[in-house]
Amino acid sequence: MISLKNPKGALRVASTMALAGVLGATSLVALGAQTAGASKTYTIAFNVGVTSDPFFLTMRAGATAEAKKLGVNLEWQGNVNFYSPSTQLPFLQSALASKPDALIFAPTDTKALQPITGQFVAAGIPVFNVDSGNANQKNVVSWITGNNIQGGQAAADALAKAMNYSASGTYNVVIGVSSVSTSTDADRLTGFKNEIKAKYPKIVLKNVFATNSVSATAISDINQALSANPGAAGTASGLSGIFAIDGTDAAGAVAALTAKGKLGKVALVGYDAYADSVKALGKGGFSALIAQQPYLEGQLAVKAAVSYLKNGKSASAAGIKHLNTLANKVLTATTSASVLKKYTYRTK
Amino acid sequence: MPENDRPVLTSSPETPRNRVREILSNQQFLLFVVLIALMTYFYSRNHYFFTVGEFQNIFTNFSGYALLAVGEMFVIVAGGIDLSVGSTVAVSGVLGAWVMNGMMNGHGNQFWVLTVGTLICGLVGAFVGFLNALMITKAKLVPFVATLVTLSAGLGFALLFAQFFNSGQPVGSDPAAAVFSSKAIWVFTYPAIFVILIVIVAGIVLHLTKYGRYTYAIGSNAFAARAVGINVQRHVGSVYILSGFLAGLTGMFYFMQLGSGAPTSGDGFELTAIAAVVIGGASLTGGRGRMSGTVLGVFVLTVVTFGLVFINVPPAWTQIVVGGFIALAATLQSLRPSGRKSV
Repeated sequence: MISLKNPKGALRVASTMALAGVLGATSLVALGAQTAGASKTYTIAFNVGVTSDPFFLTMRAGATAEAKKLGVNLEWQGNVNFYSPSTQLPFLQSALASKPDALIFAPTDTKALQPITGQFVAAGIPVFNVDSGNANQKNVVSWITGNNIQGGQAAADALAKAMNYSASGTYNVVIGVSSVSTSTDADRLTGFKNEIKAKYPKIVLKNVFATNSVSATAISDINQALSANPGAAGTASGLSGIFAIDGTDAAGAVAALTAKGKLGKVALVGYDAYADSVKALGKGGFSALIAQQPYLEGQLAVKAAVSYLKNGKSASAAGIKHLNTLANKVLTATTSASVLKKYTYRTK
Repeated sequence: MPENDRPVLTSSPETPRNRVREILSNQQFLLFVVLIALMTYFYSRNHYFFTVGEFQNIFTNFSGYALLAVGEMFVIVAGGIDLSVGSTVAVSGVLGAWVMNGMMNGHGNQFWVLTVGTLICGLVGAFVGFLNALMITKAKLVPFVATLVTLSAGLGFALLFAQFFNSGQPVGSDPAAAVFSSKAIWVFTYPAIFVILIVIVAGIVLHLTKYGRYTYAIGSNAFAARAVGINVQRHVGSVYILSGFLAGLTGMFYFMQLGSGAPTSGDGFELTAIAAVVIGGASLTGGRGRMSGTVLGVFVLTVVTFGLVFINVPPAWTQIVVGGFIALAATLQSLRPSGRKSV
């Protein structure tokens, strides 16, 4: 009860309620934006890591186009900001309760989300993975993903080319990753390292920075690498190249190189075709970008799910491979405008 | 147990042996020794450590942490805690970037754009501090909880704004700001000079003015402070606004480095700020600590974190060493009072 005899207490209660009200209203608006769509024919739940990421926005465009073409209902879900299994799990649990005909999802952690995957399968709902996944997971019908090992290899080749690699030089290189434990980052790193070992003995991998998606850390890490290796590119005392494995590292590397006047002097290869990164290709910021095909991933995933449902839930009858890897595209300053446009991730 | 009631000099006569003991139990002196040892080690691993370029890096990184730690220190000395500063960096950076981007698309005199940006960031930060102050002094929430609310909601708003302005990507693009922020006079980059001036002013305010004395008085004993006529509520509120304001300026600082406002900019910085204050010798229970200690704490933290990166120590080890270092500093702090009493 709010007592008017105690104005201070009333003020205290009122301000707490006002605060709770503002936060509550904000979350209701957010919830309202998520609920839409009615069910007809097949309903496919599609759940991704971070719905605001242009990579997943592009995947959504591909999935939506395919769902429209096939006349199925697509329920798009995911946390707006946080890429973690603990924030993804509640969305999957509510999807399970709504009993869709099939589930497509990009697991933020393949191990942590195995039990819930099992629950879907037990409820007779077939599960498909996109982007991240585990090739050995048998209860998933199909996993459609960009080939991260190949992406890492392509990045090594592109970086060597941008550094004008020759057997007479020494090329110090650093790599920025979001986190060494993310499966996609780890695969790209493996592909990159293997390619260097096999083809470029004069490339020296100096360090692998983990920035945990904090831009400030990405900048200072690259600054440290620049002052630890102040000599000319191509020599043993200089920094020749940077492989920025995710968007934060890429932005940090561009800012650090710009500030130190080293843009264009140190070769920089980035991952993912975000609009800002593609713009920086032309200005000599990035020597190359490794672009994935999220639109195609979304399209193929919906297509596979519908085909599986229409063919008596048999993967062989529907002609679905357990693992479907899509090659990545290397974008450079000389790539044609139409190709750049095709591979640039969407922002809506 | 009271530990400050006995001035050390009266209990320990000026013998050389006692003076040595006194120096060894001085946390700031120990920090300084550790700092020199660390720098010597990093130099021995890579001789480029003692170069103007690397010290520019160190002072730049120092500045970002220092701005946050100074604000945090006022709050901690007053007996509170401000967990919201990391999110404040993000939300002010994103909003400031949006305004600056709009100005540059309009006409764009670099000096005015950056000046207005600095003001906007500072005001956004002060507003977050004002919300903290309201919750703590009016709604009587515990500082830990109140600032936890703004930590969480602040990050959410930063992400929402970034999504609204630029579909979740860093807002704005101002490479000129990044270039400007790396210009330097000897080892001091322009932003570092700006920050060092702020730190000096903050030190003067904390140690030489009535405002500073009130802050210590409230942190030591809020009831006694109220009894002698200090308006405790208003003063505590102002301390949170100050902390928010400095966190907002930190948002501008990171905008200048990146050339854009990223919603992830301040992720986890509140803990770095608190760690620096604690390493510097301030007490989390309030009423104790010196600005010089906090500055030294920030410096040690910066040198450890980025020095390990400099000598190519893998990231996992960097985290562990930094953690161990905090533990060591905290242990030193807990040993200090009993060390004094044994004299």
